[in-house]
Amino acid sequence: MTTIPRIRYSRRSVLKSGLAAAAATLPAPMVWSQAIKDVTLRQFGTGVSNLNEVAQKVKEDLGFTLQMTALDSDSVTQRAATQPNSFDIADIEYWICKKVWPTGNLQAMDTSKIENYDKIVGIFRDGKLTPDSVIAQGTAPHSVGFVDGPGGTEFVNEESGWMTLIPTIYNADTLGIRPDLINRPINNWSELLNPEFKGKASILDIASIGIMDMSMVVESLGEYTYPDKGNMTRDEIDLTLGIFTEAKQNGQFRAFWKTFDESVNLMASGEVVIQSMWSPAITAVRARGIPCVYQPLEEGYRSWGGGIGLSKSLSGIELDAAYEYINWYLSGWVGGFLMRQGYYSAVPETSKLFMTDDEWGFWFEGKPAQGDITNPFGQVMEQAGAVRDGGSFYERMGNVACWNAVMDENQYMVRKWNEFIAA
Amino acid sequence: MQRTANKLSADLSGWLLSAPIALVLAVFLLAPIAMIVIVSFWGATEYSIYPDFQFENYEFLLGSSVTYRVFLNTFKYAAATWAITLVVGFIVAYFLAFHVRSLKWQVALFLLCTIPFWTSNIIRMISWIPFLGRNGLANSLLLSTGVVDEPVEWLLFSDFSVILAFVHLYTLFMIVPIFNTMIRIDKSLIEAAVDAGASGLQTVWHVVIPLAKPGIMIGTIFVVTLVMGDFITVRFMSGSQSANMGRMIQNDIGLLQYPSASATAVILLVTVLLVIGILLRFVDIRSEL
Amino acid sequence: MEPRSRSFYILAAFFAVFIAFLYGPTVVIGVLSFQGAGGGLTFPMRGVSLHWFHELFEQQAVGDIWASFRRSFLLGLLVMVATVVISVMGGLAFRNRFVGSTVLFYVVIVSLIIPSILVSLGVGLIWSRAGLDVHWSTSGLGAQLTWTLPFGLLIMLAVFNRFDPSYEEAARDQGASSWQTIRHVVLPIIAPSLIGVALFGFTLSYDEFARTLLTSGSQNTLPLEIFGMTTNVTTPVLYALGTLTTGFSFLVIGLFLFVVWLVDDKRRKSGSDAGKGMA
Repeated sequence: MTTIPRIRYSRRSVLKSGLAAAAATLPAPMVWSQAIKDVTLRQFGTGVSNLNEVAQKVKEDLGFTLQMTALDSDSVTQRAATQPNSFDIADIEYWICKKVWPTGNLQAMDTSKIENYDKIVGIFRDGKLTPDSVIAQGTAPHSVGFVDGPGGTEFVNEESGWMTLIPTIYNADTLGIRPDLINRPINNWSELLNPEFKGKASILDIASIGIMDMSMVVESLGEYTYPDKGNMTRDEIDLTLGIFTEAKQNGQFRAFWKTFDESVNLMASGEVVIQSMWSPAITAVRARGIPCVYQPLEEGYRSWGGGIGLSKSLSGIELDAAYEYINWYLSGWVGGFLMRQGYYSAVPETSKLFMTDDEWGFWFEGKPAQGDITNPFGQVMEQAGAVRDGGSFYERMGNVACWNAVMDENQYMVRKWNEFIAA
Repeated sequence: MQRTANKLSADLSGWLLSAPIALVLAVFLLAPIAMIVIVSFWGATEYSIYPDFQFENYEFLLGSSVTYRVFLNTFKYAAATWAITLVVGFIVAYFLAFHVRSLKWQVALFLLCTIPFWTSNIIRMISWIPFLGRNGLANSLLLSTGVVDEPVEWLLFSDFSVILAFVHLYTLFMIVPIFNTMIRIDKSLIEAAVDAGASGLQTVWHVVIPLAKPGIMIGTIFVVTLVMGDFITVRFMSGSQSANMGRMIQNDIGLLQYPSASATAVILLVTVLLVIGILLRFVDIRSEL
Repeated sequence: MEPRSRSFYILAAFFAVFIAFLYGPTVVIGVLSFQGAGGGLTFPMRGVSLHWFHELFEQQAVGDIWASFRRSFLLGLLVMVATVVISVMGGLAFRNRFVGSTVLFYVVIVSLIIPSILVSLGVGLIWSRAGLDVHWSTSGLGAQLTWTLPFGLLIMLAVFNRFDPSYEEAARDQGASSWQTIRHVVLPIIAPSLIGVALFGFTLSYDEFARTLLTSGSQNTLPLEIFGMTTNVTTPVLYALGTLTTGFSFLVIGLFLFVVWLVDDKRRKSGSDAGKGMA
């Protein structure tokens, strides 16, 4: 099913390049825009951003077909690393990129073909949100965002003109709490291991993300200060997981969660009152009329970024279509769509065009809502007067303490993580 | 001459008829097993695996105390599930075989037992939370009847809930083979026992159980292997908090550590084969079908 | 009919409790599928509505239930047909001893007891090493057959163990070729058990998760799709799907029983004893 249309397209693209000479003299766009309608691009990623509505809008706006497959986060990494022929576009996170880029399954993108490149926020370019920001520890997106050329395998630290992933969404994560069941202010990451919440806490079981949450807790407890928590030594890994293994054996945790949905169900059902959580999970709990707060903490946020990468095998008209898709992605509609779920868009200023002033004020600027705030599916999320937890974009993203990370000792870490889960 | 020719043609037709199943199993069972054994000696980077011949994977696995705890856990789940499914399965099979008198009612009741399993297992797993959770159906029932004063915590995300889900999933695999041997028990044997003055329980103990033993063994093989190889039930029902061998394999796969997953898989396979090898000493499957 | 004994009632009660236990999750799914429009996958209920049944037929935020359902259904049918055909052939083969039959039998047993994740892992590794693309209809199909074939074959062995060879001898005496004997004598007699094998094959395939996990390629089967959907907020739509499935199963099984009883009734009236070998 996947190979037959592929052959057809490549024949088409041969035809197209044959026509290229004629195109110099003849008006070719007609031919091209007809051909591109037959293109099907296969995208995979987690359900966080692999939304059917995006595919639908692509069909409307660009004419070609985008096939979305939503997978759990393990399968995403697996597919990007081991099944390069099963996708055209990979929707992954930056830390996954660090892992899978060396496989050569993805191709670098020419930033000169990306219209809104200059408007992409600094985090993804030189790493700085504002010129005087300090870059947080961990796998910061810009550090794995560029390579030295079209076939480059080494990451470079400057804007080389060849991008690994086109940034799509990102956010600053913190702990989610049930204020109605806790009844007191929560201000530190260390609260996750507070015996008060014995049997009512949870942490996520995705090693590269969970270990960073843990390091925030360990520092907050005053147990240890990492020289670089984004790149721990073996001893530091042992120490971190040791503290959590002890807590686990003391019954601190009700459960660990691995899929987004689990975190929502744990919180909504009251099984858990404090846990690592993602922003739209909070909104999903609240949408059910259950109070839930995305609690800003003194030590700052743990941040993550996602982006789309192109399969090595893309070429010809399909590659053109992929660039069109990327340019469309950054042109605002998707950004607005995702920002209304609580994420941030890589090009905020274009997204603004697709949001009402009130929505922009609430989600981006941290202002009190003037009227009802609805999610992209029309459900009312917040009433007038509500303020986003943590405030404005700059307050939240400016207070990032670390990024999800792949460390030098990653292999050791994941094995130890595995043991922690099994312990 | 004639006899060798006959033998040859018997072999030939046997080979021809069994060729499809042999082929499928060669490609999708034996070759994968061979591949797993080979890969268990390979090395891995963050994102790829490379051919090698090293014992590092086994060393790490066998050198960690967690492995033995997980090993023990795997057996614990298998043993507990086996014991419960055996008792429940035997009683249900006994009821269906000796008290439900017509074949069509037996068929109907069996089908009734299978209906819950047509709903996707993932959906059923999610539904255990509202069933057993702190604010779930079971707890509200216990609270409203005054059995307990506050919600029972260990109903969900505990060894209890893991074993409960296993019993839910696999009791049927115990019932069917036991039922199958029971209906073949000659009724006159039971009548003879009753005539000789045996009580109902004595009849069950001295006549039915010995005769149903092959079915019990086959059911045991099913339940034990299913539980030992499972990973998804343990993950969901323990809230990812405990592990068996299957989960270790799955975690390694998720982290792209195929060689170490393979090493764990080899150990698991050897264990299962040993257990089943021992069980098969007590029953000749072919003659008991 | 002799009167029911006390032990009958005790055992019947036990059986009823067992059934209640089996249906526990089904009941929860059933209740929560009528969750109000603002409700979630867990209690409390927020109103009662048919909202999620409507939603089930709309586009979901993530994933495509019906496309993956069609895939799973088709795969189930493929597995079913392959299982029936290959098991019958295997069953016929095993009626006589042939060189290698014992080895093959033990391989079948291994296939039955091997943890499913191993098959997934091994097939995935072979395919990726050979540079082939995994796809549900090739590698996925094969991986599932390693689970359904042993079941099918064991059932067929049981059937042939109890098969009276005198029917065949009679046919052969009348001059029927061996193919004719199989086609007109053996197959009709074992037909009822084939329904069992077919049902087994389909059911085992339809809900198979582990064996398809690493072998299904870029398109998900239904269990994988549902698992993928849990990476975003899922809704009681999943429960609505579960309730519909249960309702549909009741319908199918009810119809099946109705037909069987009808046929049985007719047979009894016409005094035939055919079909008694079904057990």
